[in-house]
Amino acid sequence: MGSLFSAPIFFIMFRETTEAAIIVSVLLSFVKQVIVDDPALLRRLKWHIWIGVLVGLAISLIIGGTFIALWKSLAKNVFQSSEELWEGTFALIACIMITIMSLAMLKSQEVQEKWRGKLGQAMRDADEKRSLSNLTGKYALLLLPMITVLREGLEAMIFIGGVTFDAEGKSIPLAVIVGLIAGALVGFIIYRGGSRIALHRFFVASTCLLLLIAAGLFAKSIHAYQMDKWGKIVGGDADDAGTYDPRGNVWALNYGDPNQPNNGGWAFFNSILGWNNIASVGTITGYCVYWLVVILSIVFMKLKANRARAAAANQHTYASEKDVEMK
Amino acid sequence: MLVAPVKALAFLLGLSAAAHAAVVTYNWNITYVNTNPDGLMDRRVIGINGQFPPPAINVTLNDTLVINVVNQISEPTTLHAHGLFQTGNNQMDGPSMVTQCPIPPGSNFTYTIPIQQYGTYWIHGHNKGHYVDGLRAPFIIHNPAEVYHYDEEYTLGFADWYHDEHAVLLDEYLSIFNPSGAEPVPKSALINQMLNTQYSFEPGKVYRLRIINMSALAMFHIHIDGHDMDIIEVDGVDVTRTSVKTFPISAAQRYSVLVTARNTTSNNFLIHGDMDPEMFDTVPDTLQMNITGTIIYDATSPLAPTELIDWGEFDDAALLTPVIPMATSPADDQISLTASFQVMDDYINKATFNDITYVAPKVPTLYTAVSMGNLSSDPQVYGTYSHPWVLKHNSWVEIIINNNDAGNHPFHLHGHVFQVVGRGEGVYDGSTPYTYFNTTNPLRRDTVLVRSLQNVAIRFQANNPGVWFLHCHIEWHLQAGLATTIVEAPEAMAGILTVDQTHFDHCKALGLPSSGNAAGNQGLDLTGQNVGPNLLPGKFTTKGIVALFFTVLSAVVGLGTVVWYAQDEELVLGKEDRR
Repeated sequence: MGSLFSAPIFFIMFRETTEAAIIVSVLLSFVKQVIVDDPALLRRLKWHIWIGVLVGLAISLIIGGTFIALWKSLAKNVFQSSEELWEGTFALIACIMITIMSLAMLKSQEVQEKWRGKLGQAMRDADEKRSLSNLTGKYALLLLPMITVLREGLEAMIFIGGVTFDAEGKSIPLAVIVGLIAGALVGFIIYRGGSRIALHRFFVASTCLLLLIAAGLFAKSIHAYQMDKWGKIVGGDADDAGTYDPRGNVWALNYGDPNQPNNGGWAFFNSILGWNNIASVGTITGYCVYWLVVILSIVFMKLKANRARAAAANQHTYASEKDVEMK
Repeated sequence: MLVAPVKALAFLLGLSAAAHAAVVTYNWNITYVNTNPDGLMDRRVIGINGQFPPPAINVTLNDTLVINVVNQISEPTTLHAHGLFQTGNNQMDGPSMVTQCPIPPGSNFTYTIPIQQYGTYWIHGHNKGHYVDGLRAPFIIHNPAEVYHYDEEYTLGFADWYHDEHAVLLDEYLSIFNPSGAEPVPKSALINQMLNTQYSFEPGKVYRLRIINMSALAMFHIHIDGHDMDIIEVDGVDVTRTSVKTFPISAAQRYSVLVTARNTTSNNFLIHGDMDPEMFDTVPDTLQMNITGTIIYDATSPLAPTELIDWGEFDDAALLTPVIPMATSPADDQISLTASFQVMDDYINKATFNDITYVAPKVPTLYTAVSMGNLSSDPQVYGTYSHPWVLKHNSWVEIIINNNDAGNHPFHLHGHVFQVVGRGEGVYDGSTPYTYFNTTNPLRRDTVLVRSLQNVAIRFQANNPGVWFLHCHIEWHLQAGLATTIVEAPEAMAGILTVDQTHFDHCKALGLPSSGNAAGNQGLDLTGQNVGPNLLPGKFTTKGIVALFFTVLSAVVGLGTVVWYAQDEELVLGKEDRR
C-alpha cells in the first residue's frame, strides 16, 4: 500500500465522482442538444446545472467535513446503526428521480419542441401562479444535479470517514484529488463524446446507462434496508463483519465485495450495475421488478404516443378537409 | 466456610497414607437443586445428593477412587476427572460419545479410578455443558511425601457464573442470529461456587492455596493484598518455587501457591480473582468483574485496603520449571492443528480445527476402537467429523496448535500432561524450521493457553492406549466444535482396556449402537454417520446462477425495450424530416 496514495480512497472518490459526473454530464449534453436556438435559455439552464452541482458539493463538503471531524473526535461507530437506512433512502430517492428523468428524456425525442417551449415558458413565467409541478419542472435541472452530487458527496465522505481510520493522513489528499479529476474527466468525455454521436443514438445510450444505474440503485436500496434490519437483529456491526441474513439469501461470494477497500473493479460494477457479492430474494426480485415496471412504462408510453399521433393525424386530415371545404 | 473439614481431612489422610492405599468411595446422586449462589438470582443448578455446591473429592496417591453415580437429572450425563491420566483405564475418562455413552436419566454408573498421580485437579460433567450449571468440584490428590513443606492448605475454585441454564444460553449462542459467535457473558464470579469464603491464617505459618479455574469462559487474575505467592504446582506437576505478585489462570488450569502468613494479626486481607475483560464480547456496567475471599488473621481486625495491581505479562512456560526433570525427545510424528471460527453452511458460527468442526459420532470412539479389530488403526472408521488422529504406541508426538482466531483459547488434552516446547507468532506453515524453547526441562501441564494469532508446540509420548479428547476448554467453543480426537495405540487397547457391560447397556438404553464404526456399521461403510456443517462455498450455487440469469435477462429485455421505443422514434423523425 503506497504511503502517499491511498488506493481505496482513490477508488471511492473516482467511483462517486464518476457516478455524479455521468448524471451531470448527461444533463449538460441534454440541455445543449435540446435548446439549440435560445442561447440565453441554454446558458441559464447550464447555470442551473452547475449551481446545482456546486451547491450540492458545498453542502456535502460542509456536512461531510463536519461529520468527519465529529467522527474522528468521537472515535465511535455512532453512525453505523443508521448508516444503512440513510444510504437506502438516498438510493431509493435517486433511483426514482433518475428513472423519471430518463424516461422523460426518451419521450423528449418526440416532443422536442414542446419541451423547449415548456422549459422556456417555465423560465419566463416567474409571476404566474406556481403549481408544484411547475416549480419542480422549472428547477428540475437544479435539483437533480444538486441531490445527485449531495448524495455522492456524502456517501464519499462517509466511506472516507470509515476508511481513514486505517489510512495514514498523508495518503488521503492526493488520492482524493486524483479521484476527483479522473471522475470528472470520465464525465467530460461522455459529455464531449455526445456531440459526435448521432443525437438520437446518444440519448438512447445515455438513457440505457442511466436506467442501468437506477436499477442498480433500487437493488442497493433494498440491500441497505435489509442490512439495516439484519444489523438490528444481530446487534450492530453487521456490515463490518460481512454477515447477512441467511434466510432468503441467493448468493454470497468470497470474492467481488464492492465494499472492500482494494476491490476497485467490483466497486465500479456496484456503482454502474448495483452489483454486490451478497444477493437476496429481495434484491433480485426488486431488480427484476424495477425492469418490469420500466418495460411496462415504456410500452404504455409507446401506446399513448401512437394514440396521440393517430389523433393528430386525424385532426390534420380534418383541418385540411375543412380548408378545402372553406375554399 | 470450608476451613475445618479440609483441615481435618488433610490430617486424617496424612495419617492413613503412611499406612496403606485405601479404596475411597463416594456415592453421588446427581440431582437438581434450587439455589442462589451469587445472591442475585434464584435458579436451578446441578448438585450432588441434593446439596450445592458439590463436595470436593479428596484422595491420596495410590488410593483407588470409586464414585457410584446415580443420574437423577432429566438429561444423560457423565463425569470427567480433569487431569487424571486414567492409565489403562480410558473407559473411565468420561467425555460423552468419546469414551462412553452418557449415563441415561435414572441409571447408575461406577467410575473406578486408580490414583497414580498427585496434585490439584477437578471433576466435572462432560456432557452438554452440565458443569456450567454447577456439576463441578475440586479433586485433590494428596502426596504422603509432598515436595514442599507447608502447615495447612485451602482450595479455591474460581468460576464464572450465569443466571440462565446452559441449554438456554447455548440456543442463543449457536444461532443464525449470532453470526459473530459472541459467547454469553457471565453474570458474576464465585469462589467454590459461593460468595464470602474465608480462610484462617496464623502468623508464622505457611499455607498452600490450591487454585482452580472451573469456569465456562472466564480467565482470572489472582493476587492477594499484602502477600506474595510462590507457585509450586502447575496442573499437578510440581515446579521450582517461583515468587509472583499476580498470575493469570485460564479455564480448567490449576496452580498451587505457598503463602507465608504475616507476623501480625492487625489486619485481614483479601484474595482477589479479577476476570479478564478480554474474554468477554461486551462488559456490561452492572457486571461485577471481581470476586474476593478473605484471609482472617483476627475476626476483629479491619480489612486492609485493596492494592492496585498491574497484571503484566505472564508466560508460564518461560517462568516455571518442573521439579522432576524430563528432557524433550524428538518427535516421531507432527500434527498441525489450526483453530478458527466462521459461519458455516448451516449459517451458524462454528469452531474448526483445520476446517473441520467436531460432531460426535453415533458410536463412542472408544467402542469403535475396541470393536473394529485390525481396522481400528484406520482413521476412517472413526468418522470424518470426530476428526481422529491415530498414534502408534510409544511414539513421540508433537502437536502444533495454531490459534487463527481473535480470542485466547485454553486447549486441554485428556489422559496426559504434555511438554510445552515452543511458542510462536501467527500460523506455523512449516516453510521454515520451528523455533523451540532452548530448555532440557520444559514445563509440563494438561491445559495450555494459546493467545490470539499465536501458536504453541506441545509434545508427549503415546504411552497410554486410549481415546483422548483434545479440545478448547471454553465450554461454548467445545459445543461449537473446537475439538479433535486422539486415538492412541488402538492396536494395544484390546490387551489393556476392559469395557464392561454397563457401558453398552447405557448406549442401548439411549437407542445408540455400541460397536462398529462411527456410523454403527461394519468395515469402512460410513453411510449414516453423523455429519456436521461445512465451510460456506463462497461461490455461485445453482440458486445463484438462476437468479443472476434472471437479473441479466430483465436488464437485457429492459434495455431492449428502450431501444425498441427509440427505434420507432427514429423512423418517425425520418418521416417528419421528409415532409
